[in-house]
Amino acid sequence: MVIETEILPLSIWLPWGLLYWLAVVGGAAFAAVLVGWLVAALRSGPVAALRMTGRTLAGGAADLVLISPRRVWALSWLAVKESIRRRVVVVFAVFVLILLFAGWFLDPGSNQPARLYLSFVLTATSYLVLLLALFLSSLSLPGDIKNKTLHTVVTKPVRPSEIVLGRILGFTAMGTFLLVIMGLVSYVFVVRGLSHTHTLTGADLQPAEQSAGDQLSGRTSRVHQHRHEVIIDVAGGGRVKMEQGHWHELTIKKSGERSIYQLGPPKGLLVARVPVYGKLHFKDRTGKDAEKGVNVGDEWTYRSYIEGGSLAAAVWTFDGVTEAKFPDGLPLELTIEVFRTYKGDTSDPEDIPGILGSLAVRNPKTGEMVEAKIFTAKDFATDLQFIPRKLQTADGRTLDLFRDLVADGRVEIWLRCLPRAQYFGAAQPDLYLRAHDASFKVNFAKGYLGIWFQMVLVIGIGVLFSTFLSGPVAVMATLGALLGGLFSQFMARLATGEVIGGGPFEAFIRLVTQQNLVSEMEPGLRTTVAQMLDVVMGYGLWAAAAVLPDFGSFSFADYVAYGFDISPVLMLQCAFRVLAFLLPVFVAAYFFLKMREVAK
Amino acid sequence: MKSDIVVETRNLTKVYRDFWGRQKVRALKALDLEVRQGEIFGLLGPNGSGKTTTVKLLLGLLFPTSGQSLIFGRDASDVRKNERIGYLPEESYLYRFLNAEETLDFYGRLFNMPKAVRRQRTFELIELMGLGWARRRQLKEYSKGMVRRIGLAQALINDPELILLDEPTTGLDPIGTREMKDLILRLRDEGKTILMCSHLLADVQDVCDRIGILHQGELKELGRVDSLLKIRDVTEIRASGLNHQAQEEIKQVIERHDGKLLSMGNPTTTLEDLFLRIIRESEAHPGRRVRGEGPGAQVNRG
Ligand SMILES: Nc1ncnc2c1ncn2[C@@H]1O[C@H](COP(=O)(O)OP(=O)(O)OP(=O)(O)O)[C@@H](O)[C@H]1O
Ligand SMILES: [Mg+2]
Repeated sequence: MVIETEILPLSIWLPWGLLYWLAVVGGAAFAAVLVGWLVAALRSGPVAALRMTGRTLAGGAADLVLISPRRVWALSWLAVKESIRRRVVVVFAVFVLILLFAGWFLDPGSNQPARLYLSFVLTATSYLVLLLALFLSSLSLPGDIKNKTLHTVVTKPVRPSEIVLGRILGFTAMGTFLLVIMGLVSYVFVVRGLSHTHTLTGADLQPAEQSAGDQLSGRTSRVHQHRHEVIIDVAGGGRVKMEQGHWHELTIKKSGERSIYQLGPPKGLLVARVPVYGKLHFKDRTGKDAEKGVNVGDEWTYRSYIEGGSLAAAVWTFDGVTEAKFPDGLPLELTIEVFRTYKGDTSDPEDIPGILGSLAVRNPKTGEMVEAKIFTAKDFATDLQFIPRKLQTADGRTLDLFRDLVADGRVEIWLRCLPRAQYFGAAQPDLYLRAHDASFKVNFAKGYLGIWFQMVLVIGIGVLFSTFLSGPVAVMATLGALLGGLFSQFMARLATGEVIGGGPFEAFIRLVTQQNLVSEMEPGLRTTVAQMLDVVMGYGLWAAAAVLPDFGSFSFADYVAYGFDISPVLMLQCAFRVLAFLLPVFVAAYFFLKMREVAK
Repeated sequence: MKSDIVVETRNLTKVYRDFWGRQKVRALKALDLEVRQGEIFGLLGPNGSGKTTTVKLLLGLLFPTSGQSLIFGRDASDVRKNERIGYLPEESYLYRFLNAEETLDFYGRLFNMPKAVRRQRTFELIELMGLGWARRRQLKEYSKGMVRRIGLAQALINDPELILLDEPTTGLDPIGTREMKDLILRLRDEGKTILMCSHLLADVQDVCDRIGILHQGELKELGRVDSLLKIRDVTEIRASGLNHQAQEEIKQVIERHDGKLLSMGNPTTTLEDLFLRIIRESEAHPGRRVRGEGPGAQVNRG
């Protein structure tokens, strides 16, 4: 599974986050005041400068606190009007056009159609909305200064703080409106694009092989490049098997001798699972505890591997498993990587036989263990397994899940690979309890809320830059901040020298002199200078990475596309982070505008 | 009395600098000015003499290089002074995508005026400007003069005590100009203070109580319009109803002093003459400027 980041509970995250925030904001504020005082001191002496700085800060405090809602409302309204004049509608038209074209090349018959469709609409929406937010916010104030329309505004009793806040709120309102409409259109687009049904007639069905003539089996018609297997009890009722992550409801009507089969719309395609994760550790082939499994030389070491036909196992420990929460048993969902050392003789890739695995339940206190399921694992296919309340041990006893296997709400699930010389790869998020599903619609909306968070951040940055830069420069700076934010983790690694090939200057020399990335640089002045510049640059990058918001972490597109509920804790964290970022941005924008000579 | 001084500048100086901090233009040099409650003060000067710069400094749109300006005793950087000010910029810098009503309503909101008051003021001002027929049209469809009128309406939305007008009559037709002057006089009669910049001498002569003449950033002349236009070393006598004897006596007095009677009384010059002479003198003797107030402080003239 892709959702790898663990979400810390708010009680731990919030205090540390707050501390970090106070350190960064406090440091920046202190530096700003110091620079302000120094500049003033150069002009008019240290004592006068102290008085001036004090006056500026006091005035700033007043301007930030005494904000009039009516004025902010008027300025927001103006920003909305301005956006409309700037033809925001065009963006919406472009969006619709993109969807129309996408209708042609998005293949609903692909392996993961929901993933494809959802990633597409979320990505398209976020690019369009972010670009729009960028241009609107960073061109607005410079335009007003250039047209001098700001002269008429600032000669009213308007505080610079109100101008900044009005802009931010106005563009946010406009963006929100657009985002809501795009979200609705996207939802309809996804549902309609994936919607299909199959036909099934009596001629498709034959008596099932291993049944006493009381079951029929067959396959539905081929739509969106797949067919479903169907098993029908002669007594009535039937089952449609999962294919491409969905199934259909089957209704059977008798009309005289003949049965008419009807399949409904796809089900289970658009979901929002609420996973309960456990802690993973491994047992090596001799059954001893191991931090990690075997490394099979994969380039990506995210998963660890357990060897088949040995005592090696991946063990997930779950807490808080109570009868009240899971009255019928444990629904487990697992996705495992199957690493083959040999392949069966198969010509049709669809028919590669799966590899057998077992799931066992163990009581962590008493050590009682019972094998609950033998299943066929297919590479990276997501399987839902159900562990029932009553389990049979090898020696014929019947155990109750909650009485015998769960101790104080804690239970272990053991995964083993059965055939020798085959491997299973697993990581912590690969197996979870699928407690229940949340509403997909709500989750979809949460995905759009993620875009909204990013949009608000971009608007804040755009307005900030527009208070002291001219239009085109502000656009470029905002774009830079957006890209920097998207790659802030990479920048942080660059700053700490973790990236192979050195910092930007060293990498540039390597590029020009056509050296590879790992060889030692030959010593000399050039190298020394480049590496020293890289150190300086490193601090800059480090500062940028510390200050810029990590835009990627606000994107919930993967959650929605892979069908996982976005946890409220994560949403709350993001909301806090947006607020934490906007607050100093707002204050900084205020001071920049306040100190700007509007008529220059 | 100190309290009736509405606008005050002390040693106000502005140097425009370029991006690198190099000096470009000294637009205003040590200006000392006072405008009192209830008067119409005209700031006169040729193009580029620093009139607009002065007004922008007063409003805090520009920051002074040195010196200080006070309005109602408050510093230019204090937004609270704006509550009682109306400002008509050189050109009307208004949002062209708004219509007349939206424009006035918007600026009304910026004064934190409640809705009912805004409505009332908007209606009155649009009627006053004679734009009732175009109240719902976007300003981009307006003619220059119409925009100018909305600009003036916007400056009056808060019923200000001090009105700063930068070239109020540009772009107006003769009727509009007349109406503007009448409006200015009426506002003065309502007790408001008006500071206007202009290089249109006829306008200034008609309405201003006091004027200051700027040239190259320096204040060259300052005083009441009527006294400035009086030529003090010439006496003009025109009389009727004097009998022959009386006229002879006057003539004799004049002849005794080696004079020659033309007519009697103080003639007035036109403002245009005064203006042109001051500018010419200023060019001949750059750097000379008036400070204080009143006729006694005038530059002597030949
Ligand atoms: N933004 C600016 N940057 C540099 N110089 C400027 C700027 N604005 C004005 N100046 C200069 O300052 C001087 C005074 O200009 P100002 O606009 O105050 O003149 P003015 O008296 O209003 O003239 P006009 O009658 O043409 O409106 C001029 O020399 C002008 O070139
Ligand atoms: Mg001017």
